[in-house]
Amino acid sequence: MPHRFPLLSEESSDKTPSLTMEIIFRLKVKDAMMTNLRTANKKDTFRVIQKVMRNNDISGVPILEDNRLVGMVSVSDIINALDRGYVEESVEPYMTKQLIVLEDDMPLSFAVSYYNKYPYRRFPVINKNKEFVGVLTTKDVLSTILNEMNNEITLLESQIFHDKVELPNQIIKEYIIKQFDFENAGHASFRLKKLLKEKEVSRKIIRRASVAAYEMEINVAIHSNGGKISFILEENSITIITKDTGPGIKDVAQVIEEGYSTANDWIRSLGFGAGMGIPNTKRVSDEFKIESEMGKGTTVKSVIFLEDTDEGE
Amino acid sequence: MRKKVLLKDIVKAVNGKVLHQGDCDYVRWVVSSGLMSDVLTTVEEEILLLSSLTTTQVVRTADMVGAHAILLACGKPISPDTVALAADLDITIISCEMPVFETGHYLSSLFFEE
Repeated sequence: MPHRFPLLSEESSDKTPSLTMEIIFRLKVKDAMMTNLRTANKKDTFRVIQKVMRNNDISGVPILEDNRLVGMVSVSDIINALDRGYVEESVEPYMTKQLIVLEDDMPLSFAVSYYNKYPYRRFPVINKNKEFVGVLTTKDVLSTILNEMNNEITLLESQIFHDKVELPNQIIKEYIIKQFDFENAGHASFRLKKLLKEKEVSRKIIRRASVAAYEMEINVAIHSNGGKISFILEENSITIITKDTGPGIKDVAQVIEEGYSTANDWIRSLGFGAGMGIPNTKRVSDEFKIESEMGKGTTVKSVIFLEDTDEGE
Repeated sequence: MRKKVLLKDIVKAVNGKVLHQGDCDYVRWVVSSGLMSDVLTTVEEEILLLSSLTTTQVVRTADMVGAHAILLACGKPISPDTVALAADLDITIISCEMPVFETGHYLSSLFFEE
């Protein structure tokens, strides 16, 4: 029975938590693989390789020729060599030559699917120049995923905020926005819309505030490493603030221009990323401010007065 | 004031399939785009959002602009998440096989006929 990862197997992919899926799609094989490995030459004998294995406590040695992977020798190859009496011979005719390899730029999800497809527990890794660069074992995959999940949870924990002190006639709400979380992007804006409805704010203002909040929320999900959105509802205004943790905007003046965008095709395929988000937000706001520092993050603030003015639409 | 067009007439005109029936049974305008930011710039109310995009963000966008209904053209597969969100937000969601342009043609007779 091959070693199976429950992740990505057909029957369970729908139920896998999105954080885990996100991690294995985001991480590359090179983020998890072992490098600086012991390798050998095809002219080396099984005896030499056996010593390499014993001294380094490893169970497989890649055989290289000019940085190219030409074969693998495993413990079972050594046992066969001892058993059949060719342990002093060079490995070349006997080594495993038909190898299933991974590329270092492939997402880890791809590697996980390999573990489900093939009965091996380790795969050699090559780069795009076909040079050998490392080996990926199930242990590497597991420890990398665990480590990354731990980082994510630490990050989320650090973003848990305490109740803000509200002044009289003030309501403050805060929501976390996760990077690339298209599933939930828009949820905070929906909450805002509901809140404003409850407070019997006029339909026109609700629409303007919803559009601003939604564009701002989508922007954080698309372009930043994640952040939060806050709503401050006061007697005369609603203030919407997004604060993200980076990477920051190089030229703030540029993003206010309609049509300027750094979005990729994937974002465009979702119906966003045409460089309309910030101009749209600005258009519906009575006051608008954007501040950004490279490496630190971006803060966007939109204020909409509850009394209907002619501005913004 | 623009005339009311009943959703059931729209379903008939485009040979559509109702995936969720919301509370409102009419629209006055059709807004069509594959770019949700475009939709968010509109000022019309009581609209039908016509798009070939089928992501949950189409439903979110419809909600933000207070659309009464969504019509997803081109017969693309629609994920249960998209329909579930429309049901949650109580927005009518309809699908049809025709491309957006053709759908628009059939709709126009409903909106502009004397």
